[in-house]
Amino acid sequence: MLRFLTRRTLGAAVILLIIAAVTFFLFFAVPADPARLACGKVCPPETLAQARHNLGMDQPIFVQFVTWLGGIFVGRDYEGLGHCPAPCLGYSFVNHAPVFATIVDRMPVTISLTIGSAIIFLVFGVGTGIIAALNQGKPLDKIASVSSLIGASVQIYFVGTLAMYFLVYQWQVIERPQYVPFTDDPLQWAYGLLLPWIVLAIIFTANYTRMTRSTMVEQMSEDYVRTARAKGMSSRAVILRFALRGTITPIVTIFGIDVASLIGGAIITETTFSLQGIGRLSIQAVLNSDLPMLMATVLLAAAAIVVFNVIVDALYAVIDPRVRLS
Amino acid sequence: MTAVTLSDRNSGRRGDSFLSVQNLHVSFQTEDGVVKAVDGLSFEVEKGTTLGIVGESGSGKSVTNLAILGLHNPDHTEIDGEVWFEDQELIGASRTALENLRGNRIAMIFQDPLTSLSPYHTVGRQISEVYRKHKGASRQEARGRAIEMLERVGIPNAKTRVDDYPHHFSGGMRQRVMIAMALVCDPALLIADEPTTALDVTVQAQVLDLLKDLQQQTGTSIILITHDLGVIARTAHNVLVMYAGRAAERGTVRDILRSPRHPYTWGLLSSVPRLGSSVDVPLTAIRGTPPSLLDPPPGCPFHPRCDYVEQAKPELCLHERPDLSPETGHGDACYLTLKHKQEIFAQIKERP
Amino acid sequence: MSARTRSALAVLAIGSLALTAACSKGNAGGPATSSAPTASKTNLTELFAPAKITIGTADDSKGPSIPPEGVVKGGTVNMIDRDDYPHFDPARVYDNVTSNFHELITRQLTGYKRVAKGEYKVVGDLATDAGQVSDGGKTWTFTLKDGLKWQDGSPLTSGDVKWSIERLFAPYITEGPPYVQQWLTQEDYKKSYGGPYGGKQLDGVDTPDGKTVVFHFKSPHADANYALAMTGYGIVPKAKDTKEKYDKEPFSSGPYIIAKHTVDKSMDLERNPNWDPASDPLRGAYPDKWHLEFGFQALAVTDRFVADSGDDKKTFSFYSHVAAERTQAVVENAALQSRLLKQPSPYGDYYYFNLDRVKDIKIRQAINYAWPTRQIQQISGGPVSTVVNSTILNPSVSGWQDYDVFGLKQHPEGDIAKAKELLAQSSNPKPTIVYGFNDTPTEQRITVAIKNQLAKAGITVVAKPMNTKTWYDSTSKVDNGLDMYWGGWGADWPTAATVFPVIFGPVHDGGYNQSHLNDPAVKAEIARIQTLPNVDEANKAWGELDKKIMETITPLVPALNDVGLQLHGSLVGGAETDPISWVVSPNTIFVKQ
Repeated sequence: MLRFLTRRTLGAAVILLIIAAVTFFLFFAVPADPARLACGKVCPPETLAQARHNLGMDQPIFVQFVTWLGGIFVGRDYEGLGHCPAPCLGYSFVNHAPVFATIVDRMPVTISLTIGSAIIFLVFGVGTGIIAALNQGKPLDKIASVSSLIGASVQIYFVGTLAMYFLVYQWQVIERPQYVPFTDDPLQWAYGLLLPWIVLAIIFTANYTRMTRSTMVEQMSEDYVRTARAKGMSSRAVILRFALRGTITPIVTIFGIDVASLIGGAIITETTFSLQGIGRLSIQAVLNSDLPMLMATVLLAAAAIVVFNVIVDALYAVIDPRVRLS
Repeated sequence: MTAVTLSDRNSGRRGDSFLSVQNLHVSFQTEDGVVKAVDGLSFEVEKGTTLGIVGESGSGKSVTNLAILGLHNPDHTEIDGEVWFEDQELIGASRTALENLRGNRIAMIFQDPLTSLSPYHTVGRQISEVYRKHKGASRQEARGRAIEMLERVGIPNAKTRVDDYPHHFSGGMRQRVMIAMALVCDPALLIADEPTTALDVTVQAQVLDLLKDLQQQTGTSIILITHDLGVIARTAHNVLVMYAGRAAERGTVRDILRSPRHPYTWGLLSSVPRLGSSVDVPLTAIRGTPPSLLDPPPGCPFHPRCDYVEQAKPELCLHERPDLSPETGHGDACYLTLKHKQEIFAQIKERP
Repeated sequence: MSARTRSALAVLAIGSLALTAACSKGNAGGPATSSAPTASKTNLTELFAPAKITIGTADDSKGPSIPPEGVVKGGTVNMIDRDDYPHFDPARVYDNVTSNFHELITRQLTGYKRVAKGEYKVVGDLATDAGQVSDGGKTWTFTLKDGLKWQDGSPLTSGDVKWSIERLFAPYITEGPPYVQQWLTQEDYKKSYGGPYGGKQLDGVDTPDGKTVVFHFKSPHADANYALAMTGYGIVPKAKDTKEKYDKEPFSSGPYIIAKHTVDKSMDLERNPNWDPASDPLRGAYPDKWHLEFGFQALAVTDRFVADSGDDKKTFSFYSHVAAERTQAVVENAALQSRLLKQPSPYGDYYYFNLDRVKDIKIRQAINYAWPTRQIQQISGGPVSTVVNSTILNPSVSGWQDYDVFGLKQHPEGDIAKAKELLAQSSNPKPTIVYGFNDTPTEQRITVAIKNQLAKAGITVVAKPMNTKTWYDSTSKVDNGLDMYWGGWGADWPTAATVFPVIFGPVHDGGYNQSHLNDPAVKAEIARIQTLPNVDEANKAWGELDKKIMETITPLVPALNDVGLQLHGSLVGGAETDPISWVVSPNTIFVKQ
């Protein structure tokens, strides 16, 4: 297990380094000049040169990359702004705040959004999937199948906007979503995020319902499930201890991917519900050509995927003893 | 010894038999129509003996036994008839009643031990959970029992291997684990569905010997489902030959192998290589294919493949279902006269 | 998008000139109304009436400000928008949105005082008047009012004003406007002085006493008091200047202090006890508290104002327009009309000709005649969202004179016959025009309309779709390979002094002279007007130059002018889209009880 983790961590570091380099160099291939944005509308050449220098963009690209990279490990000094302690991901070109602090500040929103909706879509998705599988071909199954089809085909900006329009503005059955830190008031935290959670969960639940149902149906006809029944195990034990066990693997796989991508930022959800999380940060970084912020959000998303891949792989070993970690 | 006797339809179950299946019908709803997998089957098993059920794939062997345990899918399956086991009617029995029987009084082992064992649990757990469920044993007791069972089925180092997962075992060892699991509660009846088909030939013999030994020790009755007459010859006391969901012939292992009466049994015997001394017939396959159970042929289901329809009574063979006759002892479902059967089999035996 | 965003954000103060009521009604309102079947004539006339801006007196410069009708003091007002402000150091502010916010915490020497709806005066803010000009427009003298204080009660002095100008030369300040620095030194002003932090002082700004500041410009600048009204020339306390860090810890001279700020999320403002309304002619500062929240897209903002529930009743937005997908519903909802603000943009939008490539003026004029203005208007959302414009200067710019040389308003559907006639006289009756367009769905439809229309006159349009993100960088290249393309520009203050010298100024890659106009007569005239000591005279001359350029050179086709639609909560009073900055000014906002 330790060897596995060491190897995977090293691999992840290499992947992140490659992604960082590609993002960095691609950024310079696009002819949008952040220094031009940092220079006024009427921008004399000397002032533009000054802006470029202030942003460190007068250095060769490679030097800039190494400087940026070094900042992560040992921090770096900014002229006039002082020391940016490690892990320093740079200063945002746009809001002139340390990128790392901004990310840390936004993380709780995205993590809260992720945790809440993940719990909902996991419980409901897997739950309805099991119910559908156990009632294969019956009305319950058909209801579950149709609703999951609808859930899978709608888009967040559609459901989200509709939910906001009717539930919040027209009928006022729920307050406008907002983020209240969990540590301030857990109830308000949950209440403020309830609508985004549900809307986000609607989209994801469908996937889990379908996946659980089909895997479960498959599992129910597995030989070892038949064996379990032949041993006199109660149907509940058969479902929970045997059939569900085999269903967990594919669910864990997509759950890992989904959670990772949500942590990377639910751009549309955060935009629809006016939540200030990582998703908003990343889309703003793209629109504003804010390289340090862009790098940070891209890396965060990549890191989330890499980390959750390792977690999922490790979980495989726990779930399925046939998978050996070596 | 008349282990397998003719059923008596009027009396329900037969007095002293231990498992009695009477006029069993099993049919499945499929998209193409109703499949009559078992169509009026009756047989009995005596205590301490082995009944071999033999037939081609799709002849209804496995379905019959799943139906006995209520392991069929109730949504798509229609089941009719009577199954008496130790004074209990199993058809229509409550779910809990069946759950209490399964693994406890009646156990089952399956063809492929790799897929039939859960890959997610240790063999020890899989064995002991049966014991805990039925005997109310503690975790510790059940574990001890699991080790004991593993030792009994000949697994070396049972104490350490009890915590291994099925994929750590070889094919033969896995089937031993299955057997250990099946016998952990000392069942009165063991249904072994093609227990050796997935195994190497040498391992097959070991597993069959093990079953035999265990039967001698515990007196468990066994229903051994197979398509392999060699396995039958080695282990069974009595034999039921099934064709298209019905019994074609029934008798002691000696009856069936030495003086088979049904043309289908002759065909089966002819298609088995080297049966040793019990019979000496050239190797030929039965022509044609098994009938569709969606739309079985009228009359004798075997008649489209039978070479002796003309010698029997064609109008009967083609239009009327033959029943097992005589009703007890060595019986078969064919309209040929006994004399004809003996003559024809003698000719087959001597065919170059 | 890049060009539009940039110009929209980068525009600080835009104004419109004093036009007589008769002139605005007769010339401006009429044509727009004729193409507006859904709106009543009076509405559009009123809508299109340019704001009136004059220079105020010392009396006008005294506080307090003129309260809006029904004003109530106190309470908390909420403001919601998409983005937080990038800079809190006024020296680094150029865009209209951030400047508008700074009204709450930052004061300048001068400012625009709202006298009545659509009527503004340039007055002294910190200064006692709008400035005393001498030496033919080269010397400007400002006297500070009595009793001016910083948020900590310390006095605001002429030393602070001088310091605020000097620090604009420091290397770390690159974002703000360059004008006053250039006037005091040279075009590339960073070369001449490195800022005050090394101990060196700037020549050209004198402080004879604690209350007097004198600017000595190298040449006459009649509109220096307009320029000094920009937030970029807001005053920073010398004693509290923390250089780069000041951007995060501004010190207030305005009516409010930032009590709490969570970047990109929210901000709370409380009263500055040391701000005296009697000294301030611009800022009403009626609410006791301000709660600003960020992160809301136009759609969310629109829906909240439409619903108008709970605290949203006391909420407004500085710059969020009604979302495009709700425009129709909002405009047709009678109940919302009392809370709907309409204001045409103060920017200039153009379809530039590349004069290096389309050399024949007859062809350029033929295209103007044939231009499918009405079709483009319909595609862009109709008369509710746009108004037709036929001049180079935006009607909001002081000195604007209306004209319609090519009948864009008279024949908004295009005059094909006239176009053909001109083409017949031209060097090439069947010209081909390479048209670069921003590859968005709306622009694609507009391009098809242009292509089909010009084809009727015998002009072949080769449409070149261009990436939205790199649009500006591509079209602003001198050698861009295109014959026509859209471009926009907003004046930095409401005179043409920051329009013509820019859009017909130096030609270089990344520059704003996108037609590449390089006519000696025009250049000479621009130079002449720039040195006129009288601002009214200058404005009149700019207006005449507008028409002359259009008639004699025709470097562009004037594009439609967008109309901004904004909603606000029902308990918010004094909300008006400022015609100069095109955002809702905080100065008149109050909360109804």
